[in-house]
Amino acid sequence: MLDKSKISSQWGRLSWFEKGCFVGVISVIVLAVVGPWIAPHDPYFVDLDKSLLPPSSEHWFGTDVDGRDILSRLLFGARSTLLAPLGVIVFAASVGTVIGTIAALNPGVVDELIMRLCDVGLAFPALVLSIGLASALGPSLRSAIIALALTWWPGYARLVRSLVLEVTHKEFIESAKVLGVPRRKIVFRHILPNALNAMYVQTTIDVSAVILVISGLSFIGAGAQPPSSEWGAMVTSGRDYMLTGWWTVVVPGIAISLTAMLFNLSGDALRVLNDPTLKQSRG
Amino acid sequence: MIRLAFRRLLMTPPVIFSIVTLVFFMTQLIPGDQARIAAGRDATIEQVEAMRIKLGLDSPLYIQFGQYLDRLLHGDLGTSVFTYRPVLTDLADVLPSSIELVCLAMIINLAISLPAAMLTAAYRGRRIDRTVRIFVLFGGTVPVFWLGLTLQNLFGARLQMLPIAGQHKSGEIVPRRTGATTVDSLLSGDFSIFLDSLTYVILPALTLSCAFIAVLTRTLRSSMIGVLDSDFVMVARAKGASNLRVLVRHALPNAAIPTLTIVGMQVGWMLGSTILVESIFGRQGIGSYAMTAVLQKDIFAVIAAVLILGIAFTLLNLIVDLLVPIIDPRLRRSHG
Amino acid sequence: MLSSRPILEINNLSIDFRTKDGAERKVLENFNLRLYEGQRIAVVGESGSGKTVMASSILRLLPEAHSSGEILFKGENLMVATSRRVSEIRGAEIGMTFQDPLSSLNPIMTIGDQVSEVLRIRGVSKKEASDRTVVLLQELGIEDAPNRLNSYPYEFSGGMRQRVLLAMSVIASPSILIADEPTTALDVRVQAQVMATINQFTSKRNLATIFISHDLSVVAGFADYVVVMYAGRVVEEGPVDEIFYRPAHPYTRGLLDSIPSIDQSSEKRLNSIPGVTPEPGHRSSGCVFRDRCDSAQETCSAKAPELLTTGEKHLVRCHFPLLPLSTSRNMG
Repeated sequence: MLDKSKISSQWGRLSWFEKGCFVGVISVIVLAVVGPWIAPHDPYFVDLDKSLLPPSSEHWFGTDVDGRDILSRLLFGARSTLLAPLGVIVFAASVGTVIGTIAALNPGVVDELIMRLCDVGLAFPALVLSIGLASALGPSLRSAIIALALTWWPGYARLVRSLVLEVTHKEFIESAKVLGVPRRKIVFRHILPNALNAMYVQTTIDVSAVILVISGLSFIGAGAQPPSSEWGAMVTSGRDYMLTGWWTVVVPGIAISLTAMLFNLSGDALRVLNDPTLKQSRG
Repeated sequence: MIRLAFRRLLMTPPVIFSIVTLVFFMTQLIPGDQARIAAGRDATIEQVEAMRIKLGLDSPLYIQFGQYLDRLLHGDLGTSVFTYRPVLTDLADVLPSSIELVCLAMIINLAISLPAAMLTAAYRGRRIDRTVRIFVLFGGTVPVFWLGLTLQNLFGARLQMLPIAGQHKSGEIVPRRTGATTVDSLLSGDFSIFLDSLTYVILPALTLSCAFIAVLTRTLRSSMIGVLDSDFVMVARAKGASNLRVLVRHALPNAAIPTLTIVGMQVGWMLGSTILVESIFGRQGIGSYAMTAVLQKDIFAVIAAVLILGIAFTLLNLIVDLLVPIIDPRLRRSHG
Repeated sequence: MLSSRPILEINNLSIDFRTKDGAERKVLENFNLRLYEGQRIAVVGESGSGKTVMASSILRLLPEAHSSGEILFKGENLMVATSRRVSEIRGAEIGMTFQDPLSSLNPIMTIGDQVSEVLRIRGVSKKEASDRTVVLLQELGIEDAPNRLNSYPYEFSGGMRQRVLLAMSVIASPSILIADEPTTALDVRVQAQVMATINQFTSKRNLATIFISHDLSVVAGFADYVVVMYAGRVVEEGPVDEIFYRPAHPYTRGLLDSIPSIDQSSEKRLNSIPGVTPEPGHRSSGCVFRDRCDSAQETCSAKAPELLTTGEKHLVRCHFPLLPLSTSRNMG
């Protein structure tokens, strides 16, 4: 599904701004991967003498209440902050695709049942589930991931279902059927690739949303726990020191926000590429 | 159309039933012995066992479930193992505050999204479009809790323009009718308290609404752009209608129809995500109620909370689905 | 019928669209028109001829187009008028109807509201606007008008919708009606009915009309004067009888020949002009029509012909017209 020549031609169609967003996303991912190696200080080392130092040349983003360098914590925490949403999305998207496709290809009772199941999943308050799971399994990033994955897949199931339905009724599928192409082949080689095109957009934008939700969960204590360097947990630990050390809260907050924004804008750019009729001139 | 509505209506109870079942069995997973928690830390073993029998926890699970359903259908949401009060009463205490919050947040949402979408759609591609959209996007990608903390810090602590936390000045007594301070103060005619209580609600509501504003503005904007390109808009201009009139009287109603579903879902989502804002701004509400209930393994309270949220979400969707054909005359009868 | 000064005068109107990379696509070149009070002019051409762009530009409905030239309405140049003035004129002094009646009507607004809107935005009271709407709709052949005010577009048939569009364009008693392909989206029988309605209505009020169509046969019974366009230029114009009985341009001849005749034998193939209209931007030097012209010769590629007189008020743009050119100089 990744076509080299197509990718390079699509790349050319992006504006400078959009290219910047993609570059930004890739940079964040790269930073997450190599973070631990390039961090200037040890993120776990507690040095109370250096507590709550403002940003300086030695500590670019200052230190937290335990004297730990915020920049290093940020770099270490990038992994958990990014991996978590990716895990959620990968799960939700795969499960959702399978279920959505089944629903779309089997209209009638099966479809109806699956749709009601999705309704239940969507109506169920995600945060309560996360808190519940956090309570049941002990609060951790893992419980948050599981909870969110369970709440997110119905959205994908619905999306994939409507995409598949749309493609299934297109004429080129009808002609494939008439020509006697076996059903499985139709599904995998024709329907799915076309339907899934729109998914890339949704997944990118969803990563942005999940990043925010997970850090929110960490904030209320149902996700990553301090002293984890997950960015949401960093905000939690910094909360009490906002007045004396605003950087403990502001910096990780900006990091979360920036990452979310980059993913979001990249998703937007993908959407415009996908559907030229939506071209919103950015000048 | 009536048939479709009927079908939707019919589907709602099973969905709600599934939610209830799910929650009931989910709460069983939460660690902790409910009888022990209810009896208290210093209770003796006999007291714990007595409590267990009292709460009906000695029967097999499916019987407990059956009993619960039975009570539910009679409007009894159970008794909280903590407060010893009916859960319904507890809920009635906290729910209005959340509703107040969500209502104001929704008002803010619409008040900002509608003009923003119209503005950016009408001036698509120009500087104002980009500026407004960046602003809105920023509001949406900033983590809610971070935004809350920052606003609280800025307006509450530094500028001292708005209160930091709480729901009303301590010492102010407002006769309690609905439990929502704003409404109660209005009802009792005390305007100054009303204004004051507004100041308590405005920051939380603003914080809560930001993420939703981002989504709604974007959706409405793209819908508007599609509508503004249509023939009838040009015809409206050819009649001499001003740009403003075209936007508001022709484009907006047509563009709003597909976004109604999203608005409905947003209200449901808002209700479900009040916890973050409540915890930062020290408010009561269904979010913190649910969280405490979960942590304390107060089963009935948890189920009730989830039930309320789930029902609210499902009902809102139902209402929106029923509303759309009323607004869009094309959908009113099945036609060829 | 003809007073001395034209009520609408279009001088050297040229329109082009710029694409994102700056390329220019000329859609209309040096268009001229004079419309007198009570006169009915038909502008005929295939799609791509620029006729719709020309019509829409009179009311400045194409903000993205780059136009030059003048459009004088009762002496006032609409090209430089303020947008407020243009809004005043739209609907009230110059009315316009459009091609696709379904997409041209607001689907969620009652037709009564849509028609009376023209009056309401000018301060007319709700009751009076409503009454006038009813009267007009009845006149235009919509039965049971008072009860149908609250209907929605989807409840009407194509012909009815077209009448509603017509009502919208004339309810404020404009001096000019621009009808852009009013019958194209309708089937033949309904076409005839709607044409009859338009005919009746405009003659009763002596309403100056510009009628746009791609179908010469439709305008035959209606127009006084015909302008034939091709690829952005006027190739022939003249009184309706001249055009139909003594066409001077090969293209006009081709259009006339391709009108199927009811008594033509079924074995005879339908005539058509081979080829397609060139896209704007791909129009060659010399005569735009030469690629499809039977009588094209070398001069046709080298030089673009001018619009010259060939008869009484009859102009043609061709190096080798089917009729001789007059000797007196003209103002093409």
